[in-house]
Amino acid sequence: MIRKNFWSGLGVAAVAALLLAWVVPTWGGRGFAVGMQPRTLATLGAWVMLICALLLSLVSAVALMRARQPFAARPDLLGLWHQFWPFVYVLAFIVAIDRLPLTWVAPALIAGLLLILGERRWLVLLLTSTIPTGCLYVLTAHLMRIGVV
Amino acid sequence: MGVDAIFSSFAAALHYESIAVILGGVLLGYVVGVIPGLNRAVAIAIAIPLTFYMSAYAAIAFLIGLSKGTAAGSAVSAILLNTPGEPSSAATCLDGYPMANAGKPRKALKVGLLASVIGDLLATLLLIAVAIPFASVALKFGPYELAAILIFALVFIAGMAGGSFLKGLAAGGMGVILGTVGMDPETGAMRLTFGYAELMEGVPILPLVIGTLALAEMFVQLDEYRRNKGGSVIKLGREADDDLSWQEFKGTLPTIFKSTGVGAFVGALPGLGPSVGAFMAYGLAKRTDKDPDSFGKGNPKGIAAAEASDNAVIPASYIPLFGLGIPGSVSAALLVGAFMIHGIQVGPLMLRDHPEMLFTLFSGMIVASVLMLAVGWYGLRLFAKVTSVPPHIVIPVVIFLCLAGIQVQGYGTFGLVTVFAFAIFGYFLKKFDYSFVTFLVAFIVTPMLEMNLRQSVILSGGDIAILLDRPIALTFVIFTALLVLHLTWSAYRQWLDKRLKAPTA
Repeated sequence: MIRKNFWSGLGVAAVAALLLAWVVPTWGGRGFAVGMQPRTLATLGAWVMLICALLLSLVSAVALMRARQPFAARPDLLGLWHQFWPFVYVLAFIVAIDRLPLTWVAPALIAGLLLILGERRWLVLLLTSTIPTGCLYVLTAHLMRIGVV
Repeated sequence: MGVDAIFSSFAAALHYESIAVILGGVLLGYVVGVIPGLNRAVAIAIAIPLTFYMSAYAAIAFLIGLSKGTAAGSAVSAILLNTPGEPSSAATCLDGYPMANAGKPRKALKVGLLASVIGDLLATLLLIAVAIPFASVALKFGPYELAAILIFALVFIAGMAGGSFLKGLAAGGMGVILGTVGMDPETGAMRLTFGYAELMEGVPILPLVIGTLALAEMFVQLDEYRRNKGGSVIKLGREADDDLSWQEFKGTLPTIFKSTGVGAFVGALPGLGPSVGAFMAYGLAKRTDKDPDSFGKGNPKGIAAAEASDNAVIPASYIPLFGLGIPGSVSAALLVGAFMIHGIQVGPLMLRDHPEMLFTLFSGMIVASVLMLAVGWYGLRLFAKVTSVPPHIVIPVVIFLCLAGIQVQGYGTFGLVTVFAFAIFGYFLKKFDYSFVTFLVAFIVTPMLEMNLRQSVILSGGDIAILLDRPIALTFVIFTALLVLHLTWSAYRQWLDKRLKAPTA
């Protein structure tokens, strides 16, 4: 956890620095204001993030050095892959939904994930993928009358 | 507001349509609570799109019913599966599972249910008794007081929500930044919209909560699924000695009352949450019992303590919400989102602008507590069966529901991309243990905080000495400073303790 804190602190500090140096000054809004400037609160938030994240990294770095632990450890590639593929899977279906209605794509989304997770009973696959899709169809096409989404 | 109006609020809550909506929420909440891996926040996030076409009262009553149902339902999986449906039911596992394993699953479930209902009902009555006077006082507050209270609440939540104080504050900073996105109400300037017209009214709350709460949670569950497969469910029998007698129930009543007090206290403080309440009540029940060694081995008082407190936290967490407009928990923050969608500003102004709505909601909460008992009592066997639904079936369906919620509301490609981006963000918050509740509460209260800060700056002309004329605001400013010092000192002491213990370990 100490190493995680160190790296997450650095990450958050980097984001906060980016916000303070470029994002908030460029996109934070400007205009005549009697009280607070439009970007004041966002700037304050970014400063809070930066200070806290830097302190977190600093404290974690000291703890790592005292424990004589390395700052970086070899990542568990298999673990990373297991954390990564669900995002790719869902993103692929988001791209598909952007082009086709969700009602058409959903059975493949559900059944595909069930198959990946080890489900092999065809009845379970069929029912789990079609019942929610059917409910969505009835809801949107018949109850809400907004067409097939 | 007269007595007649209060009676008419109760009559509205007891209308069959209202009961049907609340029953739907409680039932759905129970099912969600029973299924391990699905939690209250996920359920509310997914259910919010369903409430778009309901009236404001029906929507909120449905979500409150859902919230209460999940808290009661989560005890079922804790007792029969030794896996809490909600993290707050982990304390229920300590005695619930050993009792069920010893051949008394029905008794354990009934103790849990009755404790849940009593805890919930008493805390709801407390909410009604406290929130209205609280709101009446809060209506007299000006921008200085409200700004000071909001800042205090954010720092308090960051410190108390568990984990590191620094990470809590950093998460709060992230929430504040996202809360400022959109058109500035004073200058009309676009802030952090990057040219996207969809962000003009701010970051849409629905993709944010579905992404960070529901979809991110499913990604975490997928990661955990490969590590923890399996788990055996205890089946319910029909043995006569497995039924709860009046004498046995009577023995747990003092524990239930004490634990309800603990839960209500913890719930009223923003940020602490039901897990803290459940474990505190469990610890208190164990310490004050004549036979503390029996705890952890199937003592019904252990189940009663954990469940009464867990369920008392939820209505009590609405005290700061209805009294001051400050959501003290994730579910309260989500309720604020639902109120916003229906165009109602939750908080003390509700007492002035929508008093009938407030009283009808309170009546609806009492109805929900009673329905919880009926649903839990008669659906015991059914919910015991739902416990066996494997996570590999739940996860794909919930992912589908997340995307369906966005599509049904017509957010289109922008909504899908936003929900995915927030899922990544929420995943990192969870993985690196950044306080989600602080982030969400900061996001929700930022517009109110900004408005009050801005008014304070304008009224005072930037002169901080004005605080000397505003004792309440000054008190909260001092409290905030003391709280920061206290939390920093506590963190330093913990760090020092760890350092001193390190060589002997």
